[in-house]
Amino acid sequence: MKIWLGLGVLLLAAIVLAAAAGNMWASPADLWLALTGDDSLRSRLLFEWRLPRVLAAALVGALLGLGGTIFQGVFRNPLAEPYLLGSAGGAALGATVALLVPLLMPQAVLLPVLAFAGAWAATLLVLGISRVAGAVDAAGLLLAGVAVAAILGALRSFLMLALSDETVSLQVVMSWVLGGIQTPTWRTLDLLAAITLLCVGLTSLLARRLDLLGLGETMAKSFGLHVTRFVALAVLAGSIVVAAAVAFGGLVAFVGLAAPHIARWLVGPLHRPLLPASALVGAIIVTLADAIARAALPPAEIPLGLVTAVAGGPFFIVLLARRLRA
Amino acid sequence: MRLVSFAVMALAGLPLPALAQPLTVRDAFNREVRIETPPRRIIPIFASNTEIVTSLGLTDRIVGIEAYTRYPAEVLDRPLVGGRLGFSVDAVVALQPDLLVVTPSRQAANQLVDPMERLGIPVLVLLQRDVPEILANIRLVGKVAGVAERGDQVAGALQARLDKVGARLAGRKTPSVVMITGQVGNGLMLVARQGTYTGDAIVRSGGRFALAGTARLGQVSPEAILESDPDVLLWAGSERDLEKLTERPGWSDLRAVRTGHAFTVQRAEFLIPGPRTIDGIERLAARLHPPATP
Repeated sequence: MKIWLGLGVLLLAAIVLAAAAGNMWASPADLWLALTGDDSLRSRLLFEWRLPRVLAAALVGALLGLGGTIFQGVFRNPLAEPYLLGSAGGAALGATVALLVPLLMPQAVLLPVLAFAGAWAATLLVLGISRVAGAVDAAGLLLAGVAVAAILGALRSFLMLALSDETVSLQVVMSWVLGGIQTPTWRTLDLLAAITLLCVGLTSLLARRLDLLGLGETMAKSFGLHVTRFVALAVLAGSIVVAAAVAFGGLVAFVGLAAPHIARWLVGPLHRPLLPASALVGAIIVTLADAIARAALPPAEIPLGLVTAVAGGPFFIVLLARRLRA
Repeated sequence: MRLVSFAVMALAGLPLPALAQPLTVRDAFNREVRIETPPRRIIPIFASNTEIVTSLGLTDRIVGIEAYTRYPAEVLDRPLVGGRLGFSVDAVVALQPDLLVVTPSRQAANQLVDPMERLGIPVLVLLQRDVPEILANIRLVGKVAGVAERGDQVAGALQARLDKVGARLAGRKTPSVVMITGQVGNGLMLVARQGTYTGDAIVRSGGRFALAGTARLGQVSPEAILESDPDVLLWAGSERDLEKLTERPGWSDLRAVRTGHAFTVQRAEFLIPGPRTIDGIERLAARLHPPATP
């Protein structure tokens, strides 16, 4: 209980800090004015622009934490991560197609659909390759993921080179690729919040079976788990979660890796508490990382994906080293 | 009657309607931009837009610039709102602007249009796909800034200079030209393309593209440039860098180099789509087609 309270307080503190942080720091009094409907330009900026972005960052972080937990659980691989498994790369390719290729559908529909399709297809592809190669261990899966991510990245770069008209679309894609929270309107933020809550709810339905799978396939089978079908289901769920995160936050590296690990230290390996705890940890990480991205180098803004990669890369290396030694 | 109602409103403490007509224009993104009163605090993003505002005599209304604006000297002390890594909504809003003029490059439109729309600060997005569009931009900014006449004057004078160059060059044989605007780390070279204002400026100076197929990608291999063997080689940069290039094997054999037709053009005139582009066209036209007698 103490841990949950602590995570909640930390998240709240992170949100307040992030709302204050920026090129121009806001005082608590400024924030209070903005929240109470003050009409000055500064207050409206905080309320209409900074606050939705901070909350969106928290929600994207929660989705990344969830996605990472699911992938680590389903692949029984502590190094699995949406960014490394190619699913984030697939989602980004889907989003690029939606943004740059003229198709007969409104972008608002096309973007999330193609982001999901890309995430799903890429993850299945990686899973398939590692299965066919008979290398379902940590290294095999990751190497397949790296290879697929490289191919997807190349395709995305080619589309950007060949199809962008140098005006707005390329810039939107760039901000996607480097990772950056798209500031939603309050209405879109409601939608994102609903999606996130739904994802937390739906994934918790997988929790017990993820625990079973963690015991090994044979053991899970003896408990009556249909492993192949469950893995397919879990990959689908993970892809939905990743696609939602990518649609709002672009390619944000390593949060999906770090959040589940930190959450595991706090609440243990069982997925029922682990999933929401990862979501909270992910939310805290991305909220803070986004604050750094906005405030570190005024007046410019560092792409969020670079902040998380610089902070999270060493984390991955440490995990990898420990695993290789073990 | 109107005077009476004004007086009543003033007495009642109601805000008086602004005397200047609110103005609605369409920008390059086909957005409707509504201007309530002529803007007094303008933030032009990028050198080109700063130069356009300045050419209209409105330098003192500029309250902020971005880090790569180098001209004119009077504006260089203004606060920066962004640079290489993008633009800060915070920094822009802190300056309390009532007009932003941006070009969709380096994330500017992507990062600024949406927040400014939410806050009700007008943003004018300008594109410059050819030289006439640069002149149209000058007129548009003039109109939006409440100095439409001045905008017409400035653009009209530039147009007259363009027409003069065009009339002088009519019917002349056009030399084939490659203009190199930069080098990429991997050895590829950036060249001025068709379908851009830089390309248009070359054509208006009486040149023609030596490289076919440069409409899409601006990066070409040095071999392609050597292969095309242009009549004139233009280098947007310093004399020293041009010398270094033309001393390289292969390059020294180019017809343009052997016949002394390799020379530099000013980056500010060909890579900043503002009024100085016309200076560049006049200068280049004089180099490509020297007047027969002074």
